[in-house]
Amino acid sequence: MVEHTGGRMLSEKQYSLYKRALIDAFLKLDPRTLYRNVVMFTVEIGSVITSLLWVQALGGHGEAPAGFIGAIAAWLWFTVLFANFAEALAEGRGKAQAESLRKMRQDTEAKKLYLGYEIEKGREPAPTDFIKVSSSTLHRSDFFYVRAGDIIPVDGEVVEGVASVNESAITGESAPVIRESGGERSAVTGGTVILSDWLIIRASANPGEGFLDHMISLIEGAKRQKTPNEIALNILLIGLTAVFIVVCASLYAFSLYSVKAAGAGVPVTVTVLIALFVCLAPTTIGGLLSAIGIAGMDRLIRRNVITTSGRAIEAAGDVDVLLLDKTGTITLGNRQAVDLKPVDGTDIMELAETAQLASLADETPEGRSIVVLVKEKYGLRGRTVGASESVPEMQFIPFSSHTRMSGVDHGDVHIRKGAADAIFAHIQEQGNSISDQLKQEVNVIAGAGGTPLVVTKNGKALGVIYLKDIVKGGIKERFAQLRRMGIKTIMITGDNRLTAATIAAEAGVDDFLAEATPESKLKLIREYQAGGRMVAMTGDGTNDAPALAQADVAVAMNTGTQPAREAANMIDLESNPTKLIEIVEIGKQLLMTRGALTTFSITNDLAKYFFIIPAAFASTYPALAALNILGLHNPILSAVIFNALIIIALIPLALHGVAYRPMTAEEALRKNILIYGIGGVIAPFIGIKIIDMLLVFIGV
Amino acid sequence: MGISESFQSIIRKQVRSALVVFFLLTILTGIIYPLVVTGIAQMIFPTQANGNLIVHDGKVAGSALIGQPFTSPGYFWGRPSSTSPAPYNAGLSSGSNLGPSNPALISAVKARAEILHAADPGNTLPIPVDLVTSSGSGLDPDISVAAANYQVSRIARERNLSESDVSALVARQTQNRQFGLLGESRVNVLKLNLALDDMSSHLITVTPSAGQREVPPPLVFGLRMTEWIQLILFFIVLAALIVPIGGFMAKVYSGERTFLTPITGPVEKWILSASGVSGSEEMDWKMFAVAMMIFSVIGIAVVFVLQMAQQILPLNPAGVGPASWDLSLNTAVSFATNTNWQAYAGEAGVSYLTQMIGLAVQNFISAAVGMAVLIAFIYGFSRRSATTIGNFWVLLIRSVMILLPLCTIIALILVSQGTVQTFSGPVTVPLLDPVKDNSGALVTTQSIPLGPAASQIAIKQLGTNGGGFFNANSAHPFENPTPFANFLEVLAILIIPTALCYTFGKMIGSARKGIAILIAMTLIFAPLVGMTIWSEVSGNPAFTPLGIDQTPTLFQPGGNMEGKEVRFGVVQSAFFAVVTTVTSCGAVNSMHDSYMPLGGFVQMFDMQIGEVVFGGVGSGLYTMLIFVILAMFIAGLMVGRTPELYGKKIEPYEMTLTTIHILIPIFLILGLTTVAVLTDTGRSAILNPGPHGFSEILYAFSSASQNNGSAFGGLSANSVFYNLTTALAMFVGRYAVAIITLALAGSFVAKKIVPVTDGTLRDHRPLFIVWLVFVVIVVGALSFLPALSLGPVVEHLSMVAGGVIHG
Repeated sequence: MVEHTGGRMLSEKQYSLYKRALIDAFLKLDPRTLYRNVVMFTVEIGSVITSLLWVQALGGHGEAPAGFIGAIAAWLWFTVLFANFAEALAEGRGKAQAESLRKMRQDTEAKKLYLGYEIEKGREPAPTDFIKVSSSTLHRSDFFYVRAGDIIPVDGEVVEGVASVNESAITGESAPVIRESGGERSAVTGGTVILSDWLIIRASANPGEGFLDHMISLIEGAKRQKTPNEIALNILLIGLTAVFIVVCASLYAFSLYSVKAAGAGVPVTVTVLIALFVCLAPTTIGGLLSAIGIAGMDRLIRRNVITTSGRAIEAAGDVDVLLLDKTGTITLGNRQAVDLKPVDGTDIMELAETAQLASLADETPEGRSIVVLVKEKYGLRGRTVGASESVPEMQFIPFSSHTRMSGVDHGDVHIRKGAADAIFAHIQEQGNSISDQLKQEVNVIAGAGGTPLVVTKNGKALGVIYLKDIVKGGIKERFAQLRRMGIKTIMITGDNRLTAATIAAEAGVDDFLAEATPESKLKLIREYQAGGRMVAMTGDGTNDAPALAQADVAVAMNTGTQPAREAANMIDLESNPTKLIEIVEIGKQLLMTRGALTTFSITNDLAKYFFIIPAAFASTYPALAALNILGLHNPILSAVIFNALIIIALIPLALHGVAYRPMTAEEALRKNILIYGIGGVIAPFIGIKIIDMLLVFIGV
Repeated sequence: MGISESFQSIIRKQVRSALVVFFLLTILTGIIYPLVVTGIAQMIFPTQANGNLIVHDGKVAGSALIGQPFTSPGYFWGRPSSTSPAPYNAGLSSGSNLGPSNPALISAVKARAEILHAADPGNTLPIPVDLVTSSGSGLDPDISVAAANYQVSRIARERNLSESDVSALVARQTQNRQFGLLGESRVNVLKLNLALDDMSSHLITVTPSAGQREVPPPLVFGLRMTEWIQLILFFIVLAALIVPIGGFMAKVYSGERTFLTPITGPVEKWILSASGVSGSEEMDWKMFAVAMMIFSVIGIAVVFVLQMAQQILPLNPAGVGPASWDLSLNTAVSFATNTNWQAYAGEAGVSYLTQMIGLAVQNFISAAVGMAVLIAFIYGFSRRSATTIGNFWVLLIRSVMILLPLCTIIALILVSQGTVQTFSGPVTVPLLDPVKDNSGALVTTQSIPLGPAASQIAIKQLGTNGGGFFNANSAHPFENPTPFANFLEVLAILIIPTALCYTFGKMIGSARKGIAILIAMTLIFAPLVGMTIWSEVSGNPAFTPLGIDQTPTLFQPGGNMEGKEVRFGVVQSAFFAVVTTVTSCGAVNSMHDSYMPLGGFVQMFDMQIGEVVFGGVGSGLYTMLIFVILAMFIAGLMVGRTPELYGKKIEPYEMTLTTIHILIPIFLILGLTTVAVLTDTGRSAILNPGPHGFSEILYAFSSASQNNGSAFGGLSANSVFYNLTTALAMFVGRYAVAIITLALAGSFVAKKIVPVTDGTLRDHRPLFIVWLVFVVIVVGALSFLPALSLGPVVEHLSMVAGGVIHG
């Protein structure tokens, strides 16, 4: 949500971000916090021991030359610092965002209504009805009053009034939004500003528990808990670390034995064993694991999605059923006119002109699409909406839910358009009959999934306008991609089965739920979950809340009601229903990044054996030198340096995630094994050789 | 109070069931089974079952399967023997266990070559390698045709016979490859010498045939064609058996009717009802684990007591005394854990009673426990949202009912080949050519131990136990008398672990998932076999300067023959060695300590990767499935889903158990090896110097922790230190891992099954199979390469560099 501010002061901000991260990298050396990251904690212990050995060597009693021990110790410290830096950098980006949010959370003045105040429809409270208090004293279920210019003190639900609200601080969207009691636009967020009119609001959160507080704590990572998958991976990494501790410790004993058995050489030094351990320990993934998690959450935030738990992001990667609302997600928000069908011998141009007249004042997208159609298809120039001035006798009849018709009266000409059944009634009212041709045209359009609008002039049908749902461009391809990823898409619509089936076929969804009710949605989700599937959905209305609560990944629109937002585990601040697909992708990307770096980290180790083992035991068993296939001069130091630098090199990958495009599981695995598995085997051979050459070049 | 009371009553009930089941299975597998096999064997194969004794001039002259020492220049000499106190001491079969780089081996071979040269100075032929290397059993009855031919000139001169007559005799005594295909052509030395005596006394005459001209055999990818055919034939036979036997086991475990149900059904019901177990009573994982542990501890206690008291118990014709407490404990744990690490010598250390109702029974039930745990684990995947993982007693008994019929068949075929099956005590036979023992005393007789061996060997292989009836295990001519017996024994080792993969697939509803795991195992197995065969066929470079011929030809197996038997040759020995180490069987038909370093490397690596290729019966597959979980966890991440296996989500709890499962053997092996190399007691047991000595210790703990049971035999493992440390390794390596497996089963069984979509990673496709192979090898390599590099790797590199390791 801070994208729009982030862009402007990029470089300055970035600089401070790095500076802050650098400082934090050192602060994070504190073992009291570092112990949570077992891999890096063991590396730190190794750094301390080698540093002490270095001091001892400086005193002339070292187990190896002080320069060597010192270099190893220094690079081990770098290893820890680099990992800390990665984590700090990931956290830092969130912190900067939290900072700007926190500014909005300052104490504001709230107009708390007295306990006995009776809310009356349309009546604005008088100054005697409320008392001014600090926002921090407002509790859940307190009523308060806000008017134009006020900052809404806490989250709440509008119980009376209509007002326009500037929510740009939260959504980044500068256009004001309407908030009113009842319906789906009743939730307000603390920190947003009333632009016009007034509201009576019932507080829905206690101090410090509001939406804003929640967002800040999420972004700052203060409450960031490790997600189940992260914990599982962490356990594996701890296991690997334990293995390598045992491997290296036992190697000391084996070395003692070997020296005795061969009668040659000296036992391997502690410095070399610690270097070996650090090279083998999964430092790459261990150092970047938390950064990956934080960055994943950050990527969602950048797309203006707030999650209430990291678990939801992981779940998003697993989703295999997407419930998508038809309107707004699959189709453009509104239907469009695509054809005119004259009936009863009406001239097509007459129908076109009449349809245009009927729609001139119709500001709905459907109405505008009719004007566009006749202009493009029949060459009739649209008259401006201000036509009421140039043709003063025109009187527009707006759509009303009572008549379900709209139109224009132009002298004694009465033009009407509307839904078939409404117009049929209108025609019969006028004493005319409905021709078979008209009925047929209406049925054909309805049968094709369209909406027929009948146009009449003076109570006589001229023809039918074919309104059609327009499927969003590219959405079909998107669904095909999702199918390849193994995700089933289900369109949810209130339309009848026939209409729904047509749109579903056109959009290429796998299935649809027609005439959807909150109950049928809930039932559908439960059925899929009973079959072991993970279901994601979006919703905004209060009646969506049960389904949202049931879904594994539930995205509520920020414009939605408070119950919907509470039932969801993600909130889309932009209220863009297509966002669900992106969320799934981010979830997958997060897991992939973890898997890729784990693989890379482990496969790296094989190469390191080839470098370190011959060097470590060269004095006892010179024959092992045959394993030093690259002819390295400083194999151990080079490996340690490589091990540290690779963390830095992979920070961008950890923060941005591995490149993601939709593909099947098999393709994804092949690609990632090739890049991170095979690459992980090869990379250290090249990297360590280069480092070794550089070391020789600078004379080490 | 109420809870602990009910807990106590549950335990009491399980203990009662355990005692009854144990008692009845002991009767069944320890008494009825060997008696039935002995009865049939004595009826159909009386000669073979009683030791294949050769009657010459109306007197018993020896066994056709047990070699005798020959040192007089007028007799054909057999393989050098490393038994003590005298060569070819049938009372204590053993190989030299000298490592390939051991100076003692090189000088021994050199000395033997010098003796051969001194006895026949005019002979400038290269010496066939089997004539200067000691056999695995020390009782090898055969030499290669080349080795016999090499001695023809000496014999002819000493006996005043024409070379062509002697050659003709050798040709007449030559046994061709069994069925023209299996094993090596060879000459039985005792029979040859008996015929030689007959020929000298003109009792027989031979017609000289056209002299055998050696035609160099065509080598196909480094091996003789017959060897390729043997290997390929083996895999065809194995593959043909997997589906029927795997399907049969799936049916048995599911309680479906099979053709054996009329026999096994009533037995199963009878044992269950006698032990008060209701067949339909299911157990959760904790109850399952409790039952398994109670049962296993009873087994350990019984074997312990049997050994401590064997001198006062019946069926002890050889009068074997009691074993020490630490050895008894070690052996008891060893057999209960399906390890069959043997710190004792079968001929001298245990009575027939201990063998039968102690060790052989454990062979059955330890294998059955492994299979029961596997089936419980499979239920963890195949059932959804459940709490129970089957009934331990039912699964245990059904496993025994699978093993018993197969064992009976295998045992009888082994008897037909010459494996002994009798309750008689040792027979004493005269030596044709008396020999002096280490103290210089003359030995004129050979005491040949017999016993109910075939019935035990069948289950030792089929149950991947590996505990030999005799010290030299399957290198002993009575355990593994012919190449066909060897073929059958290898088949017996592999059949259940491989077929269980199919059973697994069947039981989780997708046979190809099981086949996929089998393919992954085979992909790991094949290169290890190839590496070992290549390394052994190449022979020991240290012998080449001594004028020793190690080239495989029609007339000799060639290669590194130290510790190997002529009838198997190098290839079938190497194949057996890999099979026995990958499967946690641990039976050996050649002495692993004497393998080339790369061969030893493979054997250790086989065990260190977790005994998952194909592994022990049951345990191999359940451990492989642990690696499948690990592989799937990482692969699942890489496809962008929280990982799931066979539809079950892998979450922190499962990952914790999986990680511990993998860590336990690694910690045991490296930790105990560390303790051993740091202590004098640990180091003093070593036989071979240098890195090979380190390998002996590393091998011992790899073998014990992974429940394999084979050894680098040079290590003197019968000491309090090794008896206790290996017992610890075996106990923890078996039961901790099995309990974790059950806990995983308990966790998986409660999960629902996620349906397969295009987003699901297919666990049976080639890509995942290769990934699984990679994960298994990488985990093993990362954990053990450093240790291995100080053992076999450096030994190999030094030998390549031409140096002999200094001791």
